[in-house]
Amino acid sequence: MSHIARISAIIATAAMTTSLAACGDGADPGGSKTEGGDGPVSLSLWTVFTGSDGDILREIVDKYNDSNDKGITINLDIMPNDQLQQKLPAAISTGTAPDFVLFGVEFLPTYVASGSLEDISDFWDKTGVDPDNYLERVVQLAQVDGKQYGTPMQYNLQYLYWNKDLFEAAGLDPDKPPATLDELADYAVKLTDPDKNQFGLALPVDASAYPQFFWANGGDIDDPATNTNLLDSPENLATLEWAADLAVNKKVTPQAVTGSEADTMLQNGQLAMLMSGPWQINGLRSQGVDFGVGPIPGGSAGAFSPEGGCAYMIPKGADSAKRDATYDFMAYWLSDEIMKEWSVRNGFPVFSKSAAELPEVTGDEVLKSISAATTIGRDYNLGYPLAAQIDKDAIWPLWEAVLTGSTQPAEALKSASEALDSILAQG
Amino acid sequence: MPALATVGGAAGAAGSARRRRPLSRRRHAWVFLAPSAVILAVFVFVPLVSSFVLSGLAIDVFMNDVSFAGLDNFRRLVGDQRVWGATLNTLYFAALAVPAQMVLALAMASMVSRNNRWCRLLRSVYYIPFVCSMTAISIVWSILLDPNMGALSYLTRQLGLGAIGFLKDPALAMPTVVAITTWKGFGYIVTLLSAAILNVPASLDEAAQLDGAGPIRRFVQITVPVIWPTIVFCVVTTTIVSLQVFDQVYIMTKGGPHGSTETLVAYIYNRGFQTAPYDLGYASSIAVYLFAIIAVITFVLRRFVLRRGEDEV
Repeated sequence: MSHIARISAIIATAAMTTSLAACGDGADPGGSKTEGGDGPVSLSLWTVFTGSDGDILREIVDKYNDSNDKGITINLDIMPNDQLQQKLPAAISTGTAPDFVLFGVEFLPTYVASGSLEDISDFWDKTGVDPDNYLERVVQLAQVDGKQYGTPMQYNLQYLYWNKDLFEAAGLDPDKPPATLDELADYAVKLTDPDKNQFGLALPVDASAYPQFFWANGGDIDDPATNTNLLDSPENLATLEWAADLAVNKKVTPQAVTGSEADTMLQNGQLAMLMSGPWQINGLRSQGVDFGVGPIPGGSAGAFSPEGGCAYMIPKGADSAKRDATYDFMAYWLSDEIMKEWSVRNGFPVFSKSAAELPEVTGDEVLKSISAATTIGRDYNLGYPLAAQIDKDAIWPLWEAVLTGSTQPAEALKSASEALDSILAQG
Repeated sequence: MPALATVGGAAGAAGSARRRRPLSRRRHAWVFLAPSAVILAVFVFVPLVSSFVLSGLAIDVFMNDVSFAGLDNFRRLVGDQRVWGATLNTLYFAALAVPAQMVLALAMASMVSRNNRWCRLLRSVYYIPFVCSMTAISIVWSILLDPNMGALSYLTRQLGLGAIGFLKDPALAMPTVVAITTWKGFGYIVTLLSAAILNVPASLDEAAQLDGAGPIRRFVQITVPVIWPTIVFCVVTTTIVSLQVFDQVYIMTKGGPHGSTETLVAYIYNRGFQTAPYDLGYASSIAVYLFAIIAVITFVLRRFVLRRGEDEV
């Protein structure tokens, strides 16, 4: 073999071994992250705040970078949630994960199940932040088996938003939103006007915000405590038939609309009602929409709304200097000053007891409506490692089939229930 | 494109068989081959072998608790309705996209295969979408085709046709994805085919003309047989690319509405990287299955369907 052949063979072998070694590193994620000490600490943070709330988050992070006296600098990287959830597992397994992350608590259990997050139960003692100052439920949302894996960043339910101008134009009282699902359906029909390309109510095909419809009529999806499938019930069938009638026959919802498309339509006045989280508020304000926000309408069994929230979490393998620096920012976030700023500017319900008593908070109209509508929260598979798979492989396809009219509700419910059976079998 | 490399390699091998090259020239060949060999090894051969290995393992993306799974992943694949749905969608896409691109490209190539300024300009214009990123094109088309906010639906509403959900209607979504793919890809085939057409000896054409053959007959009986190897190459590579369709589906429809555009690669990505528990082993077994489909289809195409014309040339 000539020189060059030998050299290229060596290069090829080296390249292959390197790529294989990179795969092998997965067993010990984050092993290469050793930096820090007493000097300045630079932290990378990945998050999903792509909306206008992301601008406010960036302002708060910048303020922290300028004002903290420990030389901590946080580099914020904002990306869509889909993208983050696809990048992070691979980043964790190859030791290239960011120093901390911020996203929805519904994704947390999957990472805990694979041993990918640091147990940060010592956060309260180390920082002196009093956990009792925050709503107990909110602190629990970032726990699995009693261990803390994240610190709360925000808490929310789903709410009903309505466009007051469109209500008035349709002859409805703009200050009286629908209180029941029957009223919701009735209003949705009145508010739909195909000539103006205007829709009464958006039912997005990719949203996780559907358990409220099942719950309102006395149905449910599953019981995570016992791994039981509760989907195939007469109550749920009735709910799905109600939704199919609204979407397919009465056409009150835009065809196969996605959540982000519905947001845009609500903001530009093409949509009269939408159920969504508090992140709508800032966008609606900036577009000058005259809107109302209130609780999710109820059914025969009452009114319920799925709980959600975001938490700061630390991927496995952080060294102690970076971990301490991250704790410092987490504690900063939970201070009255930041809790107040985030809630007042974004319309998120306040979960800090001391911040809730500040005059800026008690005097805010939107916050008052949101807080009043935040009493009907219900846990939907939070802390359950199969939660994301249940939504993606069973519940979203079920609603998509029903809302697009491609399958009859009874048949769609049966096949979704079978899909749910095979998911729960892994539990 | 691996197929391109194969064709080039075959031609080179045929040349070297005629006479032995001196040793120093072979050394030179190694120098030029080394960079591509390294790139191919790292980005094609290693992943290829890895996916075969991974398909026999129970492994997630975090790579904890790896164990041998034997044929479990393949057994699961056989019972998975979504694999069969994705297979049909992939074949449906290829069955529409390959003929659409070939027919359109052949028709256009026959019209622009003259060496004047106008034809050269047209060839470049057709080529423009091909050099744009599929992601950018897909985003632009999703905006244009949005039934509520898109420019096209504004026009259809003005015409009294109402808003048409091109990417929202399960029956329309796949044909729409095919149409956009065709629009993006046919310019590349036009370039290859028109280069081949320009090489058709003028004497053959003139002889046929003297014998009284019209333009259509001359195209079918002279041009097409002469450029047949190029047509075969285009059909095979377009088929392979079509069976691996992913970007446009991922950006424009996310496999929806109601799974009507979920292709095999989209489903592989979904299982491996999108949906917990991020089952790399299972995703790899679907990749191996897709590899087998592509191998069989390519073999059948080359061996039986496209053979006759190739032999004639």
